[in-house]
Amino acid sequence: MFLLINTFFAVTFEKFNVALAGRLVVFVGMGLLFSHLMRAVIIRLGILSRSLNEQILGFLAVTIFFALVIGGLDSMITKWLRIDKDREISGSLELLSNTFIAFVYLFLWNMIYFIYHYIEKSRKQQFDTLKLQALVKELELKTIKSHINPHFIFNALNSIRALIDENPARARDAITELSNILRSSMQAENIETVPLLRELGIVRDYLALEHIRFEDRLKVEYDIDEDTLNQPVPYMMLQTLVENAIKHGISKNVNGGIIRIISDFRNDHHELIVRNTGKLNGGVNKEGFGIQSTDNRLSLLFGANAKFEINDTPENMVEARVKIPIHTY
Amino acid sequence: MTKKAIIIDDERLARNELRKLLGDHSEIEIIAEAANAEEGKQKIEELQPDLIFLDIQMPGKTGFDLLTELERAPHVIFTTAYDEYALKAFEVNALDYLLKPVEPKRLADALLKMDNIDEKENSSGGDQSIPQRGILTDHDQVFVKDGERCWFVKLADIRLFESVGNYAKVYFSNNKPLILKSLNALEERLDEKVFFRANRKHIVNLRMIEKVEPYFNGGLLLEIKGGEKVEVSRRQAVKFKEMMSL
Repeated sequence: MFLLINTFFAVTFEKFNVALAGRLVVFVGMGLLFSHLMRAVIIRLGILSRSLNEQILGFLAVTIFFALVIGGLDSMITKWLRIDKDREISGSLELLSNTFIAFVYLFLWNMIYFIYHYIEKSRKQQFDTLKLQALVKELELKTIKSHINPHFIFNALNSIRALIDENPARARDAITELSNILRSSMQAENIETVPLLRELGIVRDYLALEHIRFEDRLKVEYDIDEDTLNQPVPYMMLQTLVENAIKHGISKNVNGGIIRIISDFRNDHHELIVRNTGKLNGGVNKEGFGIQSTDNRLSLLFGANAKFEINDTPENMVEARVKIPIHTY
Repeated sequence: MTKKAIIIDDERLARNELRKLLGDHSEIEIIAEAANAEEGKQKIEELQPDLIFLDIQMPGKTGFDLLTELERAPHVIFTTAYDEYALKAFEVNALDYLLKPVEPKRLADALLKMDNIDEKENSSGGDQSIPQRGILTDHDQVFVKDGERCWFVKLADIRLFESVGNYAKVYFSNNKPLILKSLNALEERLDEKVFFRANRKHIVNLRMIEKVEPYFNGGLLLEIKGGEKVEVSRRQAVKFKEMMSL
């Protein structure tokens, strides 16, 4: 490439004659040698990884330094080879002109080198940023989907152990329910959405187990529009909302409370609502990981019109509301 | 000698399960159960058990909250299903805990450990007759919680109480956490032969005093084992000299 450029410049700027051919060979040879040397120096000094200002300074310094070296050598070699004895120019002028020519060549050459690297670097940076974003998104989804509270699992196992003597039939059912939940949470990584019917199955198993634990402190009400049963919903999302409702609404309250699960069509949306006794008491962090990533997950799956909100209701309940736009393919 | 125990857990089934497991240990007599911290506190104060089995996550107040409200903490074995923060606190301070579902062997170990501690205390000459209500003895322990860390501290190990607003700072070994108790309330409960009110802001453990120096205005300056210096007001200095000359 250096050879090509040099030839190109040589041809353009000077008349091509036999006397010049020798000079050109020397010039090209030196160009090859020095461009490699220069690259080594640039890499050695780590100029490319510095700030833009330092890069420009380094770029100029390297260019001038090598132009001087090449100019000097060029003059010496031409003198030694006596290629153009017929030319009658004084040594210092020759040195100056050679240096200047070398400077122009090197300047252009280095410019190309730096710009190439600059573009390459910014492209790589962009790529890395994208890769990182994707990774973060994936991690967020994984955590929120596969998160079954270990506290719940061990409490359930403890209750089942007590039930084995007290109510063996219920204990057997409870083991099946717990198995279903554990299986669902393990599959969660590979599944994006399921029909509401299936999600409700998990939620019912989950609530049956919590009912063993909380007994009459937990009351559950369902208000499900049957037409919504085949609507796709994000896998394990309703389960997570119910789990949170229990955690914040029931388990903290000595007298327990009510959980109400509602699924309905409203305008052009499918709405999933989980209400629980209690108050937000302003303590909800709207930017919190759970809320933010639930919202992110919804917009990833259903687009920007899908929404997640959490609010107090006038009836002293906390309401988590998921809005999913209905697809009309 | 049987020990009286109370089980505090919000789940009926969990209480049943523990009761069943304790059926193998005839030395433990379960005198009551409670389903939340408030109820637990009442029953502890009323029945003065030797031992409580305490769940941590309960509706309303946690098990830790309950303990910090007690004047005198009985022997406690925590029971928990899974609680990262609590487990960390336990590991740091070697408190005794059982993970639910409880392994019978672990339960037996915990009870044995408690027996060993009691024996050591009895043989070291502690007069442990009937725990009276009111005055706390040297061997009584209080539960102290400071953020994520918590301790059972024997009164004998406490060097100094310092009043900080509504709180009292408790000095023992290298720690000085705060407890929500006024110095006046503490003074009423503490054995005056051991704990001395040096001034408005400090109660010192007389057994932990290293040096006594005269101070301005006929007061005294006490240097305590941990290096803290406490001034004794003139009025209290008279009382102090009287006590020490006995």
